[in-house]
Amino acid sequence: MRFSLYQEFYKLMHQKMVWVSPLVLLGLMVTTGLTIGYNESKLLMTTCYDAPDWIILILAVVGATFFSMEFQNNAILTLIYKSANKRAVYFSKYIVILGYNILLHVIAMAFTFVLWMTPLSRPVSWSMLYLYHQPLWENMLKTSAIDVLTTTFIISLIFLLSCLINSNAIVISVSLLMIFVGQFISASLLNGNKAVHILRWNPFNLTNLTRQYYNYATYVDTSHLSNVQLLCSTASYIVIFVTAGYLIFRKKRF
Amino acid sequence: MLKVQNVTTYIGRTKIVKRASFDIDAGNIVGLIGPNGAGKTTIMKTILGLTKFDGSIQINHQPVTENQHAALNSVGALIEHPAIYPFLSGRQNLALYSHDHQDMARLIAKLGMTDYIQQKAKGYSLGMKQKLGIAIALLNHPQLVILDEPMNGLDVEATIGIRKLIKQYADRGTAFLISSHILSELQKVMTHVVLINHGQIIVNQSFEEFEQLHHRDYKLLTEDEVLTAQVLQQRTIHYIQEGNTFRVKRADIFDIQDALYQQQIHLKELAPIETNFEQVVVTILEQQRRADHEA
Repeated sequence: MRFSLYQEFYKLMHQKMVWVSPLVLLGLMVTTGLTIGYNESKLLMTTCYDAPDWIILILAVVGATFFSMEFQNNAILTLIYKSANKRAVYFSKYIVILGYNILLHVIAMAFTFVLWMTPLSRPVSWSMLYLYHQPLWENMLKTSAIDVLTTTFIISLIFLLSCLINSNAIVISVSLLMIFVGQFISASLLNGNKAVHILRWNPFNLTNLTRQYYNYATYVDTSHLSNVQLLCSTASYIVIFVTAGYLIFRKKRF
Repeated sequence: MLKVQNVTTYIGRTKIVKRASFDIDAGNIVGLIGPNGAGKTTIMKTILGLTKFDGSIQINHQPVTENQHAALNSVGALIEHPAIYPFLSGRQNLALYSHDHQDMARLIAKLGMTDYIQQKAKGYSLGMKQKLGIAIALLNHPQLVILDEPMNGLDVEATIGIRKLIKQYADRGTAFLISSHILSELQKVMTHVVLINHGQIIVNQSFEEFEQLHHRDYKLLTEDEVLTAQVLQQRTIHYIQEGNTFRVKRADIFDIQDALYQQQIHLKELAPIETNFEQVVVTILEQQRRADHEA
């Protein structure tokens, strides 16, 4: 497992996209700062200049490519026979992408501190109380931590799709569709007011988790779930998707 | 070194490999030959624990299964296509699997890859990728190397180089299982033959035995061809006269020598007729097809 982790880390670190992504993230965060406006400093600081929305896009591309490159480069056979078992291959990839996910969130917080010092938004103290009567720094930390869970949910879905479909283009497309349209599909299902108590647990609803945390009043009526319920169901779906993905990968013929 | 016992591999419900059994000892170079779709690659994948199977596979007395690959630590392989990441350089592709950087550097030099090893693999030609794939298989001092069509895309010089390298490794005790459609090339290195058809192993013997068994005809030249023909006819020994020589079966050569001695006819030449290896393989496969058809 240790050597498999080293191999996955080595491959990730040698991909140009992985190093370019933080710069893209910075560009998008600056653009968000410019478009949302000078007076929305507290929201910008809490959400790391809307980094969650951008990180999820980056992870959809990096995650899908990270798995499907093995099929596209005919490397999956070598990777499997050189590993202790298929579990080591699957989970070392998952753990390395998870690490990259956390790293992107840490980088987004660092960029937020840098941007806070620029005249991009109105100067506000980090100790000022904002959401849930907590200081801004705590809001930012908690939003980022919750977003790590949301993005992990998307990564788990991407890994599941990657085991079903060998083409990374299709996996990326389906994942982006889930990210952008999922929320609307869920809202449409729940707006019918039929079997809401069951339908609110649909996986599309979980893409609301981060947004609901920093904008509770607006999103709770859409999701029909409390923050804790959203959090628990996201964690449950992560376990389901990761397990299903692994079982498919184990059964897959190479 | 490698023990394959009664291995049956399925794809869906179709049996691709049927009760295959063979052993490979240290230093052996086994040529796995057979027509397209015979099950060569499936056998190789099964040994590498990449497919589900019935039966048993052991490497150095350690079992290999689909989820138990510990025994494969001493195995290198090139299956179907070289496993190369285009965004890494040749050296980085090797470093990804290497445990011994000195061995890696030696392999790069031996395979003549020094000039381009630092370049990104996305710019490599088919032959360069193939050499890199073979280098990956030979990394970390393997005890068993499995090569599926290793000569694909290689030029003459590279083919000779790889052949030499295989022999060097085999002399040091590395066992090889090699499949190739270029039988003439395989013939130059292999010590054992495993011939597979429709998933069944129909020949499994040393190359020397194989040659003896299948090179059955001998050329006979005596001092008196007319008298020789009469003696052979009297003894009802089958022969084909080709000019002043006779083509006779290997099984009859002792009877022929006795008969000629009794008649005091002196032998000028009695030697096996060289048969093309490819032709022998084709003949065996045709015989099996005919037997299957009659059954």
